[in-house]
Amino acid sequence: MDAAKDLVVGIADIKVGKSPDSIRTSLGSCIAVCLYDSERKIGGMLHLMLAHVPADVSDENVKKAKFADTGIPELIRQLNRTYGVKPSDVTAKIFGGAKVLKNVMHNIGYDNEVAVREILKQNGIRIMVARTGGDKGYNIRFELENGKVKCQVFGEEPKEY
Amino acid sequence: MSDKVKLSRAVELISKLSIDKASQVFSKLIKSGARIELEKAYVADISEATAKIAADNNEVVGVYVDIVGDIPLKFLFYVDVPGSLVLSDLIMRRAVGTTKQLDELAKSAVQEIGNILASAVSNVFAADFQVSIKPTPPIVVHDYLGTVFEEYLMEVAVDKDEIMIIESTFFVVKDNIKSFMFILPVHGSEKILNYIVDPAGGGK
Repeated sequence: MDAAKDLVVGIADIKVGKSPDSIRTSLGSCIAVCLYDSERKIGGMLHLMLAHVPADVSDENVKKAKFADTGIPELIRQLNRTYGVKPSDVTAKIFGGAKVLKNVMHNIGYDNEVAVREILKQNGIRIMVARTGGDKGYNIRFELENGKVKCQVFGEEPKEY
Repeated sequence: MSDKVKLSRAVELISKLSIDKASQVFSKLIKSGARIELEKAYVADISEATAKIAADNNEVVGVYVDIVGDIPLKFLFYVDVPGSLVLSDLIMRRAVGTTKQLDELAKSAVQEIGNILASAVSNVFAADFQVSIKPTPPIVVHDYLGTVFEEYLMEVAVDKDEIMIIESTFFVVKDNIKSFMFILPVHGSEKILNYIVDPAGGGK
């Protein structure tokens, strides 16, 4: 058996792996999308920044993981290319989307969540857990052994989803 | 010479001056020697830069200052919570250990440090390079380091995959505190940064 990898995802980034690996990140207004194939214990995490690729930018020229509309298909593609996982094999858990800076009028986190829900629906992926919103950061660890996500919102007790 | 190398040299020169000045101001403010432990300017991929930070899930007190004007910059100063309590005592001229918890007063002390350091950085640009910039009111945040850093990068990372970062670490030897300062040039700053260092060849 391979040694467990502790994968860390930065913003606009994707990591995929298999049991016994774990994937973790910290979030503010960004959203983490965790996809998991419970049969094969394979999963991946996308840490997206924004809902949509700006209209004046070509999809070809962007870092796909930065946006929900390009990042989620890219996460699905990487799971398929690396492990042969199809969208119908996975379920989703989503985290983050906080409004950390109170003086910022626009709620990026909310827009991100709306887009994520829409794009997952378009791909036929069911959301099992959504722990989103608030005004504090999130620390999450996605265990690929069982698909559980340990989530700690800043100032709260950690919870497992 | 590639644009990236040229840019890096321009930023290195400016960052050295800014960090030196900030260190002097910081030492004076807390009446204790703050040694520069790290001083570097680099271009980093946004994912790599934030993954490195996210790996450390400490809670910190961070201060954001947007510096506006000819060269818009984003400034971040942060320190871990135990360090923030000591800094709060130092800035309020109290015995170290007096502040026991991170209350509004302690946060405001750290906010003031961030504000003064951002002003010191702005003054370097104004005095040494005749560039007009000024800091906006500081915003203090108490959260995970990864979250604080992510929000700091957001505006610049929206349309850039690589960002220029000026990073420094100040070590207060007597009280064993590490604090961190970042300066991030915002869109459009690079050309002017190059120009002020190399008017003949920069800014192209």
